[in-house]
Amino acid sequence: MAIKFEKLSYIYSPDMPYATKAISDIDLEISEGKITAIIGKTGSGKSTLIQHLNALLLPSSGTLTIADFTITSDKKPKGLKALRRKVGLVFQFSEYQLFEETILKDVAFGPKNFGFSEEEAIARAKEALGLVGLDESYYERSPLDISGGQKRRAAIAGILAIDPDIIVLDEPTAGLDPRGTKEMIALFSALNKKLHKTIILVTHDNEIVYESADEVVLLEDGKVVCKQDAHSFFEDRALLKSHAIIEPKIVKLKDLLMDKGLKLDNIYSIQDLAVALGGNHE
Amino acid sequence: MNNIVFGKYIPLDTPIHRLDPRAKILAMLVMLVAIFIPAGWTGYVVLALAISFVVKVSKIKFKVIIRAFRPLIFMMCFLLVVNILSVKQGQLLVDIGFVKIYADAIFNTLYIIIRLFLMIMLTTILTMMTKPLDLTLGIEYLLGPFKRIGVPAHEIAMMISIALRFIPTIIEETIRIMNSQKSRGVDFEEGKLKEKITAVVSLVVPLFSVSLQRADELANAMEARGYVPDAQRTRYRRLHYVRRDYILLVGAILILLAMIALALFL
Repeated sequence: MAIKFEKLSYIYSPDMPYATKAISDIDLEISEGKITAIIGKTGSGKSTLIQHLNALLLPSSGTLTIADFTITSDKKPKGLKALRRKVGLVFQFSEYQLFEETILKDVAFGPKNFGFSEEEAIARAKEALGLVGLDESYYERSPLDISGGQKRRAAIAGILAIDPDIIVLDEPTAGLDPRGTKEMIALFSALNKKLHKTIILVTHDNEIVYESADEVVLLEDGKVVCKQDAHSFFEDRALLKSHAIIEPKIVKLKDLLMDKGLKLDNIYSIQDLAVALGGNHE
Repeated sequence: MNNIVFGKYIPLDTPIHRLDPRAKILAMLVMLVAIFIPAGWTGYVVLALAISFVVKVSKIKFKVIIRAFRPLIFMMCFLLVVNILSVKQGQLLVDIGFVKIYADAIFNTLYIIIRLFLMIMLTTILTMMTKPLDLTLGIEYLLGPFKRIGVPAHEIAMMISIALRFIPTIIEETIRIMNSQKSRGVDFEEGKLKEKITAVVSLVVPLFSVSLQRADELANAMEARGYVPDAQRTRYRRLHYVRRDYILLVGAILILLAMIALALFL
């Protein structure tokens, strides 16, 4: 499922004096089967961009192609449901979408909407809850009674239960504790590696980008600045500097060590670094 | 959802924006009274011209104001039907067996529609051209004299300003929850009755839970800052009438007098 933006622009409240162009002339291709991180400052158009991916927003101009779906500025798109079945969007603070009496029912809500039978929806819900690490003891609990991190996971399970090919997550780790964040990163990697999902991640946290993403898309003022391989992106110090991007800790550490004369090329993880410094592998 | 116009402040710098909120509120009240004076077509032309002039000065596109009427179209059609069925005066226009349409039915409906139009136009101008904070400040000042007879002016103003403050937040919240549920396959536009009910429940339950949570947080934040409703307080901003405010008020009162004159002598 290749994703291709062509000359896509979106304008908020076009008739008002305060009409704002949130994104303009986006030309972008997002690769299948990879984890792509979309980064950029607040207001750079990240959230606007991803809401096009399942046609919650329709472009003001330009087109978006996802496999055989084409989204244009046409007001009444067809096959929306089929598209939303393929592209699952997890919103920022997704825990607010929970509404059913039990967690299991809430997670089964999505698949039921897409036409799965009651039993099948429940089976899918159980599977999705397993993926996010909520065991049987949570099935019958109210989604309003569990902790924030667990709510977040239940909400993500609600999308996973639909089994989309492309999973889009808007700031999935915002407000989670370090452990929750770590588990979340592990979950995305697993979804990508084991279940071969295409993952698109919107985040502020460059640590997460460095650790999990294959590719990085940098947005600024509604335009794509660059799209490249995550490791080479963080190696490009001039680019990072000119866009005021804080480098991940490991890159910073590497820089400090290289300043002292160590040669550390092609090292992208803490394991590699440890080995290069004479530590044991594993 | 983005089409909700009513009550949304538009940040511009026009003469209308700079007017004293008290003057704007008073002028609006005077004009509302003027609208309800039966001054015939001439009167409405005068009013429409006056209000259009204000819209023109305020630099707002007519299209945007027209949008505020859209939700009322159904009501207006309903009104027309009721009037056709009940009013049996004036010239007989159409006579198809049991349906008899009289001229007065049409005229009465038109009168009401024009009145509604003008009223909505006025109130929309007021809320679009005045910062919610200024608006409540104005209301508080205007209610001031009634404090002596036990009207809690400050509390009323505080409640209004909190309510106004949270309208956009709640709309935003609603859009976000709707989008989340759409991603889970909810169709808010179409579907059978049972599906529609589920769709609404999937929106309303989270919305209530978020709103209650927000109210709780706000109450805590206010208490943490030592808010006491009936405390004596001073203001950073004080309101002063200047010449343009008097011009507005005098203009509004002149229009009201003109309407009364038209109603009496025509």
